[in-house]
Amino acid sequence: MNANPLIQVDNLHKWFGMLHVLRGVSFTLQTREVLVLIGRSGSGKSTMIRCINFLEEPSSGVIQVGECVVGCNPGVKPDPNTILAARLQTGMVFQEFNLFPHMTVIQNVIEGLVTVKRMSKDEAIAIGEKYLAKVGLLEKRDVHPIRLSGGQKQRVAIARSLAMEPKVMLFDEPTSALDPELIGEVLDVIRELAYEGMSMIIVTHEMGFAQDVGDRVMYLEGGVIVEEGLPPEVFSNPKDPRTRTFLEPIRKYH
Amino acid sequence: MSVEAISPPTGPPSDLDFQMGLDLVAYQQKQRRLLSIKIAVVWLVLLSFITIFLLLIEFDFDYVIENAWYVIREGAKWTIIISVVSISFATILALMGALGRLSKNAIALGLSGFYISLFRGTPLLIQIFVIYLGLPQVGNQLRLLGVSQDLPFLVTMGDWFILTPIQSGVLALSLNYGAYMTEIFRAGIQSIHHGQHEAAISLGMNRSQTIRRVILPQAVRIIIPDIGNQFIAMQKDSSLVSIMGVWEITYMASRLARKEIKFMEMFLLAAALYWLLTIISAWLEGLLEKRLSQAYER
Repeated sequence: MNANPLIQVDNLHKWFGMLHVLRGVSFTLQTREVLVLIGRSGSGKSTMIRCINFLEEPSSGVIQVGECVVGCNPGVKPDPNTILAARLQTGMVFQEFNLFPHMTVIQNVIEGLVTVKRMSKDEAIAIGEKYLAKVGLLEKRDVHPIRLSGGQKQRVAIARSLAMEPKVMLFDEPTSALDPELIGEVLDVIRELAYEGMSMIIVTHEMGFAQDVGDRVMYLEGGVIVEEGLPPEVFSNPKDPRTRTFLEPIRKYH
Repeated sequence: MSVEAISPPTGPPSDLDFQMGLDLVAYQQKQRRLLSIKIAVVWLVLLSFITIFLLLIEFDFDYVIENAWYVIREGAKWTIIISVVSISFATILALMGALGRLSKNAIALGLSGFYISLFRGTPLLIQIFVIYLGLPQVGNQLRLLGVSQDLPFLVTMGDWFILTPIQSGVLALSLNYGAYMTEIFRAGIQSIHHGQHEAAISLGMNRSQTIRRVILPQAVRIIIPDIGNQFIAMQKDSSLVSIMGVWEITYMASRLARKEIKFMEMFLLAAALYWLLTIISAWLEGLLEKRLSQAYER
């Protein structure tokens, strides 16, 4: 175990009204590690990944991202500057892409650089083009998102996050809204990032991909981590009966 | 996906089927053209009915033609100036009101809620009276106090409350329409998918950057038809400022009507001018809508 993990989550709780979605989750992510979260819908895996960049404010618990430590407690507002600093070390990719429809592809990619990082436009465009080329969409640079396929949209969304040069990428079911024939191109981009050593947390239902790309896999159910381990172990020999029940149909057909 | 969908079909093309498609499109275009022609005929018939009616009542076309340019030059000018200035102020007020309505700050929420309730809940004509005839009472009291206490700034402040008819009209229209348009802006902002907020926030944007760069540009496109609607309504409501003697269309028309007892002539002229103005506005709004929708065309 590394002494300084990139992300450390300690006893994270999240309530939505009277719904207790996360019930004391703790885990760490090392630099260059790829962590895959699996679980049923409603298990809390999306909420967890959204707590890490504070899209959801944790009800209680401590979240450390890089150098930033944010402690949350009911009734206490965490410091917005620390939250922003933590957030800037993460890049988020959403299930629904959430590209800005009124901007062209390159404008989408440089928006954060220009507005948040106050970079000059020329500088930002140079960086933006680099990441568009990385996801293989430089030729779509001046097109509006409506003219892209779902897979292309998601690759632009990945480029937009990468352009901010985060320390960790968070993927929230990046292929769940895609037609089956478009999933591959997005997974290829993520796989390449993994090989390059990008630290990542990926929520996914693509079990084959999870086994392939994950350094570690975590199974969530009912807001707690039921099982975690190396992907080959968890997928072929799940220890917890709940994990076994979840993986059974998947193992049968794959 | 969409790009593939509109490209020509692959595989062996059958000439017969291709011709069938062409015929179908040609037929549909012909039907559409025919429909527009028929609609134009209905309009022409209605307009000729009106003309016949006017001829029957010995409508004085000459009087209309004699005075038309004067009413347009003076009246339409002021109607346009007042409407354009007021819709601009109203838009600014509406934007601030909407942001207030959507904030979590008690003062902003209270202020915007009170503003909307008050100015939507009282008649525009009363607002005009209060501003034009009522506020000078406040101004005079301040002036008196300033003179008696030897405080010149109170005299200056008092003068601010005594507004010209045009200032009063613009203020009343701006406040009144700003209140209505607040709800339009609020609905427009809320109609933007929450994923857009989330994407902006996860890039590190703060609330005002998110609103300015991501939400408003999308919301404005959605509410442009509603703003256009409000602008059209405002052009007609601006006739209320005639009551203060502003030389806009309605005031000019009624003056010239009274002069020679030509009510039908002058008020129909006024109606025609308002109608023309609103048609032009609707056309401009359409152009703007089209322009803002360019990014959304496949």
